Amino acid sequence: MAVYKHSYQAYTGPLTSTSLRFLTLPRYAYQRIFGSRIFLALFLVCFLPPLVAAVFIYLQHNAKALQILQIPINELIPIDAAFFQVFLYIQCSLGFILATLVGPGLVSPDLTNNALPLYLSRPLTRRDYALGKISALLILLSLITWIPLSLLFFFEAKMAGMEWLWKNIRLEIAIVTGAWIWMLVISLLAVALSAWVKWRPIAGALIFGVFIVGGGFGALVNTVLFTNWGSLVNIAAMMDIAWRWLFRGEGTPNSLPVWSAFAGLVGFCGVCLLLLSKKLKAYEVVRS
Amino acid sequence: MTDQDKIVVDNVSKFYGEVLGVNRVCLSIPPGITSLVGPNGAGKTTLLNLICGLLRPTKGKISVLGQTVNEPDLLYRKLGYCSQFDAFPRGLTGLELIYGYLKVYGLSDREAHQMAWSALETVNLTDAANRRVHAYSKGMRQRVKLAQAISHRPQVLILDEPLNGLDPMARAEVIALFQRLAADGAHVLISSHILHEVDMISDRVILINNGYVVAEGNIRGVRDEMDEHPMQIMVRCDRPAAVAAKAFEQDHAVEVKMHEDGQGLMIRTRSADQFYLMLNRIVLDCNLNVEAVAPADDDVYSVYQYLIGTDGGRL
Amino acid sequence: MITSFLDRLTEGGSPWSVWLRQTLAIMGLETKKSFLGRRLIAVYFLALAPVAVLVIRIMVPLRPEELGTPGEAGMVFAVVFQTFVLRFSVFFGCMSIFTNLFRREVMEKTLHFYLLSPVKREVLVVGKYFSGLIASLVFFVGSTIACFLLVYVPYGNKFMEDFFLEGVGTQQLLTYASVTTMACVGYGAVFLLIGLYFRNPIFPAGLLLGWETINFLLPSFLQKISVVHYLQSLCPVPLPLGPLAIITEPTSAWVSVPGFLGLTILVILASALQVSRLEVTYGAD
Repeated sequence: MAVYKHSYQAYTGPLTSTSLRFLTLPRYAYQRIFGSRIFLALFLVCFLPPLVAAVFIYLQHNAKALQILQIPINELIPIDAAFFQVFLYIQCSLGFILATLVGPGLVSPDLTNNALPLYLSRPLTRRDYALGKISALLILLSLITWIPLSLLFFFEAKMAGMEWLWKNIRLEIAIVTGAWIWMLVISLLAVALSAWVKWRPIAGALIFGVFIVGGGFGALVNTVLFTNWGSLVNIAAMMDIAWRWLFRGEGTPNSLPVWSAFAGLVGFCGVCLLLLSKKLKAYEVVRS
Repeated sequence: MTDQDKIVVDNVSKFYGEVLGVNRVCLSIPPGITSLVGPNGAGKTTLLNLICGLLRPTKGKISVLGQTVNEPDLLYRKLGYCSQFDAFPRGLTGLELIYGYLKVYGLSDREAHQMAWSALETVNLTDAANRRVHAYSKGMRQRVKLAQAISHRPQVLILDEPLNGLDPMARAEVIALFQRLAADGAHVLISSHILHEVDMISDRVILINNGYVVAEGNIRGVRDEMDEHPMQIMVRCDRPAAVAAKAFEQDHAVEVKMHEDGQGLMIRTRSADQFYLMLNRIVLDCNLNVEAVAPADDDVYSVYQYLIGTDGGRL
Repeated sequence: MITSFLDRLTEGGSPWSVWLRQTLAIMGLETKKSFLGRRLIAVYFLALAPVAVLVIRIMVPLRPEELGTPGEAGMVFAVVFQTFVLRFSVFFGCMSIFTNLFRREVMEKTLHFYLLSPVKREVLVVGKYFSGLIASLVFFVGSTIACFLLVYVPYGNKFMEDFFLEGVGTQQLLTYASVTTMACVGYGAVFLLIGLYFRNPIFPAGLLLGWETINFLLPSFLQKISVVHYLQSLCPVPLPLGPLAIITEPTSAWVSVPGFLGLTILVILASALQVSRLEVTYGAD
């Protein structure tokens, strides 16, 4: 008698809804990621700058505290676009380090151990798999970028009043949009490199390399060819232009036009998606 | 036979941090085929890697034909190793793989080429010699690995699961090669999960579990030492019920199972000698027509099951 | 009884001849790996990117005021060389080539083929180092020479002839090629060591990059503990380092070159020591 006739029964329990099924992947990824004490320590460090920023905001609106601490009010940093842009920059830099730690380990172990067919033989599509892996980074980066900065924004709004809120609502849009652009770029890059480079340290090094060497190469092109278009391979420069426009509504002098920086970032994300789709297949092609 | 002719493992322990690899292993392995058998994680590969010098013991000493790992240029002329991993340097053909590493031994072009070709001939891989190893089938990759291990004609051949992936024909050829090498006086040390084949080809077995050597010697010898473990004997005869009845009159019989066709039985006894004596008497007294008598668990599988407590066939 | 073919290898010959043969054999096996394979895309990019930029400079002619004089072209090359080739191409290229020499073989579970050969592990380190060195020299000295020639191509054949045959062109070219060679020698040794001591070489490599990048801001005695300080001292055209730089007396070539090579030998010896203690478990990396 066939084995299945003895005891085998298909699973009949409840299934996660199709639209949220991809979230299973980050759930398991976090179990592994937060098992590392170094990562946990770094993750906690990421919350220090927002705490410092919250203290700044509090002091700005608390004359008594300033009096006790003997800080003249004119020496305090103003809470304006530059303030939020600087903290977004700090948080995104910390997020970059987190992404280089987490990103390379997201896809490469599945490919190295031929585990992709195991995922894709379940009710999980390639798109769900990619979304799941990318969302592992997006959720993590959200926790340290736009969420704490938005809280800071609303904290400032609470302290300064509704008038400040409506006057500066553009800043909140800039925080959320700017952070999401950065998160998408860095997450797609990390996951794409993780899919193409099997050795995690090398994938991590390449994430650094794309930024550092890209920056250097962009500067080289600009210097040798007397142009600004070299900045199109400099992700950090393009992000800078985008953030400046989002926070202050102006472009960067002697650099790329704002539209081309946005186009460059979209193109970069497209290339990462293309790389990812080329690699994520339910079968392994062995080349001689 | 002196230590110069043996692989000597002297009270060797290996710990990976707090994790035990192998513990207090003492072995003295003479020429011939020796099989290392144990479940996954038992410490087989650790022991083989210790003997090869890929790992250093935490405690104890190892010498291979009198050489230690401190003299790699002398030791590895005598030792060939076939890893369990299906991994090869990228981009090399079968011939280049063997030839290239023979050159590392310091051989001239001509000698390296000649020996590489000879190794490929030994494993019947000359037709595919100029094809990339990554394009080989699993069985061919296993054979080229073996060819690489024997290419410098070592006196000690250490093989980590060498029969994996080989089809029955290739397996028979490889086993014949091991036997030929052993007959020439080489030490062939094999770890394998193919228990019945190990049983057939081994001069001795080393059973290892949880990092400890639990038994060592030839299979029959190991089996004989397990006095308290009942032994199974199969008897095919015309009146099995009579044999069963007589057997239960004896203290040594533990269990009897009648064959479904009524033409035999399987008996478990604590004393095989007493059972054979009793069977002789029944044959004479009852005029029993005996077709066959055979020990049913006098093989590695049974020894393995008894000593290690797992089903070796399902490793 | 089996008799070993190899017993007669050292009979009557000096061990040095065997070691030399073995080193060459290791280099032979490694050479193919050093130039072919997808993992080398980044190295090819690093070597060819400045060449491509300078080819574009020739193909899309610049206005005369942009092209500048040949003297200004020398400055353009100094910028290309000192800011991109030395700091990025050679640094990251050597990182990719040399950290992989052993680590990749552990990853691919093939290192035992070498470790179980009758070859001293010191010889193995030397063989692998030289194979990496040859690859890096081909990539980056080649790139440096190509860039140097391409910078002067827009000034015409007559200028090229005068500059290289009668002027300082050849001497500058050889100096730049030697600086690149020394960069490969030095960074190669450092990254070989980093690849052996650290399972994840990014962080030590990142620290090294940071140290080399901020080097010009450091006090004189700290500047001398870096590869790039000695290399920049040897460059024929000095580059302005900006208002924040702490100016340090360049180290003389007679001191820097032997010191640099001596330090490289020490680093290679440290690598050999690590390899002699290396155990292969092929665990999860």
